[in-house]
Amino acid sequence: MTGALSEISWTQQSGLPLLLLLQLLPLFGAGLVYACGERRLAVTVGKLVALAEFLLCIVVVSRINPLLPAMQLAERQAVIAYHVAVDGISLVFLLLAALLTFLMTLYGMSRGRMAAGRLFAVLLVAEAGLAGMLLTLNLAWFAAFSALELWAVVYLLRRWASSRAETQALARFLQYQAFGWALFVAGCVVLGWGHAEAHGGRWSFDLFDLQGALPAGKFQTAAFYLLFYGLAVRTPLFPLHGWLPNMAQHGLIAVAPALMVGVKVGIYGMLRFVLPLTPDAAEYWQPYVVGFAMAGVFFTAALAFQQTNLRRLLAFAVVSHTSLLVIGVFSLHESGIQGAVLLAANFGLAATGMWFIVGFVFRRTGTTELHELSGLFERIPFLAIAFLGFGLAIVGMPGTPGFDAAHFVLEAAIDKFGALPTVAAALGNVAAAGFLLWAFQRAFLSPGREGGAGVERTLPMEYVVCGIALAAMLAIGFFTEPWLHLTETASQAIVARFVR
Amino acid sequence: MNLPLLSLVIFLPLATAALLWLLPERLTRPAVALGMLLTLLLASLALFSFAPVGGRFQMIERASWIAGLNVQYLIGVDGLSVLFLPATALLFLGSLVAGWQVVANGRRLHYSLLLLLQSTTLGIFCALDTVLFFVFWEVTLVPLYFLLGRWGATADSGRVAARYFLIMLAGGIPLLLAFVALAASQPAPTFDLMALLAAPPPAATQTLVFLLCLLGFGVKVPLVPLHTWLPQFSLAAPGSLTALLVGLKLGAFGLIRFAVPLAPQAALDMHWLLAGLGTLALLYGAVGMLAQSNLRVGLAYASICHVGLAVLGLSAFTAQAVQGAVSLLLSFSVASGGAFLLLEFLRQRTGSSDIHALGGVAKTMPLLATGFMICGLAGVGMPGTSSFPGEFLLIVAALHSHAGAGLAALFALSIAAAGFLSLYRRAFFGPPTRPAVAQAEDLRPREWAVLIVLILVIVLIGIYPGPWIEVLRPAAEAWTAGLAG
Repeated sequence: MTGALSEISWTQQSGLPLLLLLQLLPLFGAGLVYACGERRLAVTVGKLVALAEFLLCIVVVSRINPLLPAMQLAERQAVIAYHVAVDGISLVFLLLAALLTFLMTLYGMSRGRMAAGRLFAVLLVAEAGLAGMLLTLNLAWFAAFSALELWAVVYLLRRWASSRAETQALARFLQYQAFGWALFVAGCVVLGWGHAEAHGGRWSFDLFDLQGALPAGKFQTAAFYLLFYGLAVRTPLFPLHGWLPNMAQHGLIAVAPALMVGVKVGIYGMLRFVLPLTPDAAEYWQPYVVGFAMAGVFFTAALAFQQTNLRRLLAFAVVSHTSLLVIGVFSLHESGIQGAVLLAANFGLAATGMWFIVGFVFRRTGTTELHELSGLFERIPFLAIAFLGFGLAIVGMPGTPGFDAAHFVLEAAIDKFGALPTVAAALGNVAAAGFLLWAFQRAFLSPGREGGAGVERTLPMEYVVCGIALAAMLAIGFFTEPWLHLTETASQAIVARFVR
Repeated sequence: MNLPLLSLVIFLPLATAALLWLLPERLTRPAVALGMLLTLLLASLALFSFAPVGGRFQMIERASWIAGLNVQYLIGVDGLSVLFLPATALLFLGSLVAGWQVVANGRRLHYSLLLLLQSTTLGIFCALDTVLFFVFWEVTLVPLYFLLGRWGATADSGRVAARYFLIMLAGGIPLLLAFVALAASQPAPTFDLMALLAAPPPAATQTLVFLLCLLGFGVKVPLVPLHTWLPQFSLAAPGSLTALLVGLKLGAFGLIRFAVPLAPQAALDMHWLLAGLGTLALLYGAVGMLAQSNLRVGLAYASICHVGLAVLGLSAFTAQAVQGAVSLLLSFSVASGGAFLLLEFLRQRTGSSDIHALGGVAKTMPLLATGFMICGLAGVGMPGTSSFPGEFLLIVAALHSHAGAGLAALFALSIAAAGFLSLYRRAFFGPPTRPAVAQAEDLRPREWAVLIVLILVIVLIGIYPGPWIEVLRPAAEAWTAGLAG
């Protein structure tokens, strides 16, 4: 069978169990920060741990050989069914998660008015959850880490919820996420049960074991739908995105949405678990999934045009572009998947950057209502340009990673679905450009009203946060080659089973 | 030559832009002027070190860029594009002078964006890799959006900027699809223009590529009915920007460089489409010009008209037609660029470019009026101006290949000339009744220095067109030979 999984143990590639370190470091850091309480030290420690985690990710990247088709740096501990390994795709997501967390620690500090120690501790717990999800090869562990990360986000939302609207947003968030999580767990159970049936009652949720005993017929369809919809809520995919706009508008600004949608673990989960474990069902339902995604691109773009609040508008922008990612993943085509991975990183970085800027704007004006914002360009030109830069990355402007990635996705789409749907998907990008430019114009360019002069100038920390994100974006955009190199073999491995 | 001359030309403006942020703010404009002068110098050097009878593409620089996609950093020039480099540099210099006093705040940013626009525009003329071309092509939108949205001339310029951006972004989609389809048609996917020229794709792909390119470039040209952004844009943009955008015929250049040669058989088969679109634009532009009361919008229609002529002539697919088309485009960048710059000077003095607010300009500003007359006459193809040789070659080619369309072209050009003279008469002659016109002062030394250069170019090329046409000839012949297969 093509596409059978193999792995290389960590002992052959490194002197240390690096992946274990990647998961423990943020947890340990969270404990340390929590112990520091609200002292100044907590902030410093939090930043250092986040930076160390990012550096550790870079070390991991340097240790693996992305050209080998096997999963690498594998660690196993049979007693607790612990099984982790990485390939090029998970590394892209890991690097992104570490970078975004680091930027969030910088951003969180510049807010200055909330309990930074507590915030950082929770942030690092969330990072540990993300790292765990991205590293594990066991469905049950994935679900457990996902619960850990969701807990962290719920904690953030709850602790800083004051108004009725915020409580409501939290309730909506909980309903959706708990439901999605339950679906995912049910999907795991179906697969685990299938394994037990085939192997004389021995349950397993391990990706390697499960792949040897794929469920047949209806069971596979059921597993596919449970896992897919579970992840679709998380992603979020139209029409299961209902939790995001409310949370974006009323939740803890920037940090909460960035944690949930900055790193597209939903997309990662589809690539790592759904496609390999339910290949026939994925192939059979491909047209429907893609059809929904196409509708999602335009429907949510249309909704974005209706918004009067910048935070809500960004939420719909996220849903719209996430649909494009799903088109890439479900093209079941090598370049489509490679493109989707890069595009996910690009969107994550760009969308998070935009959330940060919205946070900075909110700090100055106390509002994100578009009709109350105006003329910000005069006061904070750097942030304005950065905002547009992130917006252009989402649109796939050449010079940002979005361009090469969208290029890949469109190439795959031409190959699989023909020219017409491809043109439609590409027009979705133009729609996104439409509402992002419209928002930019209203908030930043429209002539300033009275009181505009009171807006504070850009702070050094804001230069740093947006500067790093922007620089990373342009660097990846102009030097895409290493990233393609990193993801190529892994993408081939995923599609190997679909190429007949 | 070992010096990467073209890369220097392309990236010098960008380097200048970076430098601006290190210099004190008061040195901004001198630094920009110096950078642009140097660029002009280097671009002229590139022109002089270009050997017309040498190989087709010269001064080639090649480096791997995205190896996974086989995308290269590949630049070079041929006879068709080399003349555009100094023309671009000259026009940007003119635009800088025209906007010298206008930019009050955010100077560094404004000029950085202008320089970024210059870099990417020069890149468009030099790129020989379709993806690299596309990158330059799309990146021009970013500075244009900002320059128009932030420093626009009217209250709704932000809206116009967003509209322009979206239309151009939508126009980019067919282009990208065409380039991907072309690359996919090769045994080993490539975006190298020279390789693509050597191995034309199968007929079905050619038709697709040609139509997609026609759509993508047609928006930029603009061809009727994709032109609706232009009149609005020319009103909302600051004059210096309009001069650049209308003056530089990027869309038509794209047609000559990519659309036709990359899909030769399809282009030959669909010559009627090119000719028809050209004639339509020609007539529409000429008639539209008659109906205008604003000089800037009038010039925008004149530009539609002329590009229409270039496209019509091009559909003859002869070497003379290509020579004519390129030389007309070049001459028009200088002439219409100059005219827009003069209108910007006029607007700075009188606050308007509408004929109802003008009248008698020739009395108080004779230099400006003379300059505008010369640029305008070059715009309508008066013998003795730089446009005449190109126009003549094009009309001859059109009469040969599509006689009816050629006759229509002659007719439309006389309408355009009448339209221009009528606008000119109402705006410039008669008694100066408006106080703004009566009190205005004539061109300042800085302003007429630019004007003199432009007029010299117009007149010199008009009287002695031989060398310029000769630079174009070998490349034009190679171009036609490529079509014949």
